[in-house]
Amino acid sequence: MTSLLAAQLLNGLAIGMIYALTAFGLSIIKGLLNVPNFAHGAFYALGAYVCYGAMQAGLSFAPALCAAFLVPALAGAAVERLGVARLMSGPYLYQLLFLFGTALVLEQVIILVWGTVGLSAAAPDWLQGAFDLGFTYLPKYLVFNGVMAALTIAAVWLLIERTRLGSQIRAGIDKREMAQCLGIDVRRLVTAGFALGAGLAGLSGGLVLPLLGASTTMGSDMLSIAFVVLVIGGLGSLYGALAAGVLVGIVQSVSSVFVPSASTVLIYVAMVATIMIRPQGLFGER
Amino acid sequence: MQRRSSTYLMSAVAAAVAVAAPFCMPINIATEILIFGVFALATYLLVSVAGLYSFGQAAFFGVGGYVAGYVFAHTALPLAAGLALAAAGAALAALVVGMMSIKRTGIYFMMLTFAFNQMIYYLAYTWRDVTGGEDGLGSIKRPDIEIPGLGTVDLSNHVNFYILAAVVFVAVFAALYQMMHSPLGLVLNAARQNARRTASLGYSVYRAQLLAFVVAGAASGVAGALFAMLYRIMPIDAIAWTNSGNAVFMVIIGGMSSIFGPVIGAAVFIWLQGFFSLIWARWPLLFGIFIILVVLFLKGGVIELFDRARHLIGRRAAQRGAP
Repeated sequence: MTSLLAAQLLNGLAIGMIYALTAFGLSIIKGLLNVPNFAHGAFYALGAYVCYGAMQAGLSFAPALCAAFLVPALAGAAVERLGVARLMSGPYLYQLLFLFGTALVLEQVIILVWGTVGLSAAAPDWLQGAFDLGFTYLPKYLVFNGVMAALTIAAVWLLIERTRLGSQIRAGIDKREMAQCLGIDVRRLVTAGFALGAGLAGLSGGLVLPLLGASTTMGSDMLSIAFVVLVIGGLGSLYGALAAGVLVGIVQSVSSVFVPSASTVLIYVAMVATIMIRPQGLFGER
Repeated sequence: MQRRSSTYLMSAVAAAVAVAAPFCMPINIATEILIFGVFALATYLLVSVAGLYSFGQAAFFGVGGYVAGYVFAHTALPLAAGLALAAAGAALAALVVGMMSIKRTGIYFMMLTFAFNQMIYYLAYTWRDVTGGEDGLGSIKRPDIEIPGLGTVDLSNHVNFYILAAVVFVAVFAALYQMMHSPLGLVLNAARQNARRTASLGYSVYRAQLLAFVVAGAASGVAGALFAMLYRIMPIDAIAWTNSGNAVFMVIIGGMSSIFGPVIGAAVFIWLQGFFSLIWARWPLLFGIFIILVVLFLKGGVIELFDRARHLIGRRAAQRGAP
């Protein structure tokens, strides 16, 4: 029992890192545009399928992961420039509906290219196997998964907190008009931020591919998880999503040991509990 | 102040539309349009009147569908009881969700309604014994209606079922129209434009919005119940978040400036769905492109199209009048 629990805990931690990474991308987009990205799940799925396609085409895993970041990032930039930016002036209902339409289109394009059958890809040889920890086995890929997610988050953190571009992004999130007055090209910034967010979702999809495979429902499943993570973390907080993501991953993974059928519902229970105790979310400001 | 048309007049127009519809199209399509018309009207009340951008209306549509489906599949309760239970169940779900989301405004509200929609979806997905899970809830019967003095009405007849849908549609239309122009509707309108000022005038914005949310939930539930009876099966897709998106789409494509907008939107949606699914199995792709084009180029929906056409004709006539 302890070994099973420990294994699920590690599993949850790894999956939670993926949730954190995806929700972090959503958080950046939400912060910059003040619009929830309904196409986020579709970008995540796109990343997984692009990664699969790249590996099928003979690329090794590392460049495939790069493609899983770049293709959704480019798609995100296009979506932002061609649609969301044009709808900036009206009520955000139109942006929502635009992103909803985009999600439908992306989902169907994925089905057109790769079919409806679930796909799986093996991790490269050097990531096969597991470490023996004595009380449980830890698959190497799980470690890689967590480390990659942590490194990416750290890199994005450095980008946002320690570079000129990052300080401009933060300015854009805090006071859009003021940033514009200071001569920052907010339009390009928003495009870059949207691309970054979509890219992070895609990278998560690529990382998850050897773990869970790729399926047509993965996008909308992840979309709702990312929303829950964002609500738990607190909407006003850029980094709240990180802790909340890991938390949700662990809750989901550990609860599946005790009540397997309820693990999908349980994260919503966690969300309800959070908003009842702390309506602004764990790290949100009032 | 703009004079408003009386509820009787507007309901008569709605009834006339409902009577004329089956002569213009196959009766099953007309039935579906009226059912989704009810769903779209409920969403219209929230989105356009109250300014509550709910992205979770499918949850209440689904709850109504499952409650009615379960009642009509496993018990011998009469039709009215089943519909009332469906409305009550959906209203209860809306009350709980509303109490937890309405105090959050803007995007937060929208994300919460979406998340609760997903929560109810997964509940339905997991609770196989009652909902049938992924396979849907099947073998739903349409109970006969006993009318004293007239005998039984067999609802398995398409025309009879259409008449039931039409009666429900006109009743919901009249009730919602009356509500939108009641003091409650005016408070909702005011709160949409400026919630703080409305509150400072002494109105309880929260209570008004919660009431609207519950009413919209109940109406969505009735629509879901009729939907389950129409196909005699309640599919899991009907409760998924994409159906919530469809509801918002119906409101936008029809046009938000008139109460007939959502009805037109429902007609356009059902017609498009039928047309696209005929030509291609991947029809949601075409549907998605259509949504994108509408949002980018026709924000006012079909009603704006009418207005544009009228302007064009008006200008032509003016030119001819003054050579």
